[in-house]
Formats: sequence, C-alpha cells, structure tokens
Amino acid sequence: MNFKAILAILLCKLLRALSRLLHRGGTAMPGRWALKLCPDLLARLSKDVKTVVITGTNGKTTSARIVEQAFAEAGRSYFANRSGANLLSGITTEFVMNATLGGRMKKEWAIIECDEAASVKVFPQLKPRIVVVTNLFRDQLDRYGEVTHTLGNIRTALQSVPEAALCLNADCSLCSSLALSLPNRAVYFGLDKGAVPSREKPALSDATHCIRCKTEYSYDYISYGHLGGFRCPKCGYARHSADYAVTDVIEQRSNGTTAAISIRGEKRVIDINLPALYNVYNAVGALAAAMESGVDERCAVQALASFQCGFGRMEAFRLGKADVRMMLVKNPAGCNQVIDYLENLHNRFVLAIFLNDRGADGTDISWIWDAEFERLNAIAGRIEKVIVSGDRAQDMRVRLKYAGIPDENITVERDYEALVSSLEGLETDICLMPTYTAMLELRSVMIRHCGGAEFWE
Amino acid sequence: MELNICHLYPDVLNLYGDGGNILCLQKRLAWRGIDVSVARLPIGSPTSLSGFDLVFIGGGQDFEQQVLLEDLHRGRSREICAAANDGVVFLTICGGYQMMGHYYETFDGKRCDFIGLLDLVTVGAKERMIGNYKFRCTPEAGGSVVVGFENHSGKTRLGPSLRPLGTVLAGRGNNGEDGTEGAHWKNVFGTYSHGPMLPKNPAFADLLLATALERKYGRAELQPLDDAAELAAHDEICARV
Ligand SMILES: [Zn+2]
Repeated sequence: MNFKAILAILLCKLLRALSRLLHRGGTAMPGRWALKLCPDLLARLSKDVKTVVITGTNGKTTSARIVEQAFAEAGRSYFANRSGANLLSGITTEFVMNATLGGRMKKEWAIIECDEAASVKVFPQLKPRIVVVTNLFRDQLDRYGEVTHTLGNIRTALQSVPEAALCLNADCSLCSSLALSLPNRAVYFGLDKGAVPSREKPALSDATHCIRCKTEYSYDYISYGHLGGFRCPKCGYARHSADYAVTDVIEQRSNGTTAAISIRGEKRVIDINLPALYNVYNAVGALAAAMESGVDERCAVQALASFQCGFGRMEAFRLGKADVRMMLVKNPAGCNQVIDYLENLHNRFVLAIFLNDRGADGTDISWIWDAEFERLNAIAGRIEKVIVSGDRAQDMRVRLKYAGIPDENITVERDYEALVSSLEGLETDICLMPTYTAMLELRSVMIRHCGGAEFWE
Repeated sequence: MELNICHLYPDVLNLYGDGGNILCLQKRLAWRGIDVSVARLPIGSPTSLSGFDLVFIGGGQDFEQQVLLEDLHRGRSREICAAANDGVVFLTICGGYQMMGHYYETFDGKRCDFIGLLDLVTVGAKERMIGNYKFRCTPEAGGSVVVGFENHSGKTRLGPSLRPLGTVLAGRGNNGEDGTEGAHWKNVFGTYSHGPMLPKNPAFADLLLATALERKYGRAELQPLDDAAELAAHDEICARV
C-alpha cells in the first residue's frame, strides 16, 4: 500500500465512525471521499480477497443473503455489503471497514451486491471470481435507461473480468445472452418446464424479440414476465439447459416454499425459508453461486432453509397481534410477484402501499401502471383495508381507482407514525409495499414500534 | 354510442406504463355508460385501421424501433395518414409522436425515415431531457394544464405551419429551447408526456373522447365524473414542478 492508499483508508474509517456516531446510515459517503484520494483503492484492497458479485434487476439482496448464509454454514471467513450500499463508493467503504489500517484484508471472501449500472466501474477493480446475474427487467427508466442498455452495461463490465465464472438465469433471454459474446465460463440456473404451471404470455413483456436477430420468441412455457422456455424460431438462440434446475415447486406456503431441484442431474428436495416464486429463483441462483465457489452441497442446501432475509425483502415483523410483511417494490416485475404472493395468502389482510419518487426510487413513477393491480379485485374479499402513502400517494390512489378499487375504500395517510399506530390494534395480517426510500423510513418507524435494530447495525 | 379504440404496436411501443392511457379512456367511457372496444394491433397484424375512432401509439425502446420501421413501410404508414386525414383521433406519445414526423436523426448522424404525417423532425441530443414537467394546452386543444413526465434525448422541431400542443410551463418540452410542447394537427395529438398521462389529466382525456364522439355522432355530451382523486394527483405534482 502506498501512502495515498493508507491515507484514504484512514479517512474512510474516520468518516464512517463519525457518521455512525451521528446515527447516520451513510455507507457511501466515506468511500466516495476515499476514492477521491485514491481512485484505485478498491482494486488494491480486493486483490487478495475472493469475491462473489450479485447483480441484476430484482433479487440481489435476497440472493446475497442466501450466499452469505451458505458461507456461514461452511464456516468460511467472509464479509458482505449488507446495508445495500451497492455502488462503487459503498462497496469501497465496506472493503475499507474490513481491512486493517495498513490495507490488509481481514477476511478471505467477499459477497458483494452490485448495482447494474455501477458494474462498469466496480468489476474492473473488484475482479470477482463469480458473478451472478439474477434477471433483467425494465426498471427505473430515468436511472437505468432501457433494459438493453443495462444489459450492455453488464456486458461491458464483464469484458474486464474474463476469468470470472458466470451464474446466469437460464430463463431470462437477456441475462443468458451474456454468454453468447463473452469467453467466461458460465453455469445456468432456472425453472424447468413443469416446475410451475405455465402462464399466459403477459400483455407486457420486457423482451419479446430475439436479442440476436430481432425475431419474436416462441415459448414452451412461461414462469413469469419474460422468464421461461424461450426459443428464437429464426436464429436458434434458445434457453440453455439449467445446471441448477428447479424441477417442481411442491408446496408454496405463506412463509416458505418446498421445491424439487436437480443439481447437475442429481435430484434433491429443498426447503426455502421465504414465500413467493421469485424467491425460488433467488434461492436456486444463490445455490449455484455458493456451490460454484466451492461450498459443499449440504451447507448450500441447508442455507436455503435457515437464512433470514431482512431489510424490507419479505421482512417479517410482529406488531401487537398482527403479522406484518414488508415487501420492497420498485418495478413492475417485482411488484407483480408481490401481488402473486398476496393472491396466495389465506388470511384477511390490510394492504398499505408507499410510493416515493426520490432519486433511489426512480423519479418516474409510470411503472405503477404496468404492474397488475387489477388482480387485487379477485381477492378484494380478503383485503380488509387499502392505505396509500408516500410522496406520490395521490398517484397510487388514482392507479388503484383505475384498477377497479372504489375510491371510497382507499385511505390516504402520509404520516408513517400515524399510519403504523392505526395498525397497532389489528388482528389481521398486514402487508406493507414500500418503494426503496419509503422502506428506509418505514422500517425505522416499524422498528420503533416492534423493537429491533437499525439496518447498519 | 360506442368508440372503437386501437392500441397500435402494443408489442413494441409499450414502454413507461403507456397502457394506463388506454385504461383511462376505457374507464372514462364505461363510467358514462358509453360502449368501448379496444383492439391491440401488434407488428404484422393484418387488421386495417379503418373503423377505429381513436388510435393510441406509445413510446418504445430504441432496440425495437427497427422492427417497427419495416412494418410501417409495408403499408401501415399510408393507412395512418389516411385515417388522420379522415379526422380519426390520434394520441401519440414520445417514440410514437416522433414517428409521426419526417425523420429521427441520431446524435451520430444516422437517419430513420418516419411517416411524415406531421411537419416535424427530431434530432438526437447528447443530454437527456428528463423529469416531471407541465405545459398549458393551446385554446384549440382545450387550454388545460397538463402535468407529466418527460424522458427523451430527441429534440423535436415543428415546421412553420404546424401548431404545438401547448406551451411549456416547467421542464423542457419539444426541445428545451423554443418553449413549445408536442404538436396538434387536425385530430392528431403528439406529446412527450410519456406513460400514463391521461389519468392525471382528466380534462385532456375528456377532450380526446369528446373529439372522437363528435366526429362519429356529430355531438358529444360527456357527463361530468367525480375526479377528486385524479385532480388531487394532478394538483399535487403540478404544485411541485
Ligand atoms: Zn434470433
């Protein structure tokens, strides 16, 4: 380490200590200053650490948590960027916090969730061993641009790390196209035909036409969104068979899932400690990443049943007598999966949606019109009450009105404190659907009411 | 009474929640007891545009626009022009709006030839024009204040005889320079207000419906609706930008 690097590490550690002292969660700011002093700081620190990177539109945090659990089960020495600071600055902070003042890393492995757009800056420095691409969906267009643009970013990022092994979602025609043009070794995960009943082709799909030749795909089956058994009738680009394949989703419960999987041809039954189909994808993707990094199968499978996800991703709280789930929503594909989950609930529930339009949420809220809130009509009998909140509560109210929910049944409540207090006496389940910045605020309020720790602790 | 609505190219021009506009038109007719049908005409559809009272064309991804150019040049262009000249109501947004013009020239000089129905051209700029914005429609377009979200890198300029849809009150509009937003010719409306512009702008939505009904039946009496939610959303963001 040269003088500048050591100074940068010192500065970063100081700023981080200061921000914690002031009870700020800020994980990006210290790294940003350190990088100003020493732009290749992350490259220097990560040189002797083996890194697993998780990127993609949805499921990064959950997948990273599962990989973490697998590493814990295997007794490995690792650290992770748990607080969701997934840009170059936040990742740098995390590395500094796990380094000595002299710049020697204290841990052997790093599990890093990385923003898709930031991958271009992060990968060349980080030189990951394994890169998981969970899926690619249209996301906040004002931040990421069009979905093919995001794909291009990830491809560019991967060009700097030809030695990294890729774990790709076989069912996503966008993700798996990465292997077409890159020399990297690739393994695939996905849901085989018959694992779930095939859906109708959705009215809105983020990848209708072949990424190679622009012909419309045919599908053998669709699991959700554009994910499934795609095939281009013209150029032959088609779903790659999955090395880590879910062959059957045996049981979906409100708090977990049982599935049959085939790991390189070997059949297993696994338990996943989270409900909803999208978490089956997260589970099998994380399983692939853990096993490709050398974790033995027993530990990896055990991790799926034992991991605890938090930070607003199906996070469970207990508020008085009510069971609460907080489910982060940020784009139509993810939101539709949460609606799937609501459809499968047996109990009556209160639904509260928190729509913000700040930088980290995406300033464009058009996406709420692509999410299938119409499906709430079919389960209206089980919905005790609908509350809308957040900076754009009125827009959410209009969306629900046009989805068919009578306006008089929708309550607008912007004060989180008052909102949570009003839920406190309930005995029904409570489902909270916040966007990212709303989730941060709402979590603090929930934690105050239910007890627990803030996210950076 | 009945209106037949066409959603043209929903398979490729479907970005940014465009479907919200169709939904809005449908609901606002249904709430008034007026029948409505919506046909989705994807690329390669053999269905002709004749028989539709209102055509919606949304925004799209650059990657997929090539697919659609081929379809346009196979004859859909001519049909669109014929329908527009016949007074059919068109709502065209973002990519769909640009498509009504002569051409789109990318920042590095590549040119895509479009329909040429409206006397306008679009040239790609380096910087993206992005964010909430608002404009006041011209008196011929109802005069209401429309609030929306723009996200485009193309700068559109109108020919001397083409009227804009409105005047920018906040934000960028057609090009960020001349204060114009959108275009309005006969019953063709073009705007950069992408995604679900109609639900929050009920006056503009009703203008489209009234225009289509008037053309078809010679009269249009739209009963007023309870727009409390719509206006609350409109006013809130209007006050912020
Ligand atoms: Zn092809």
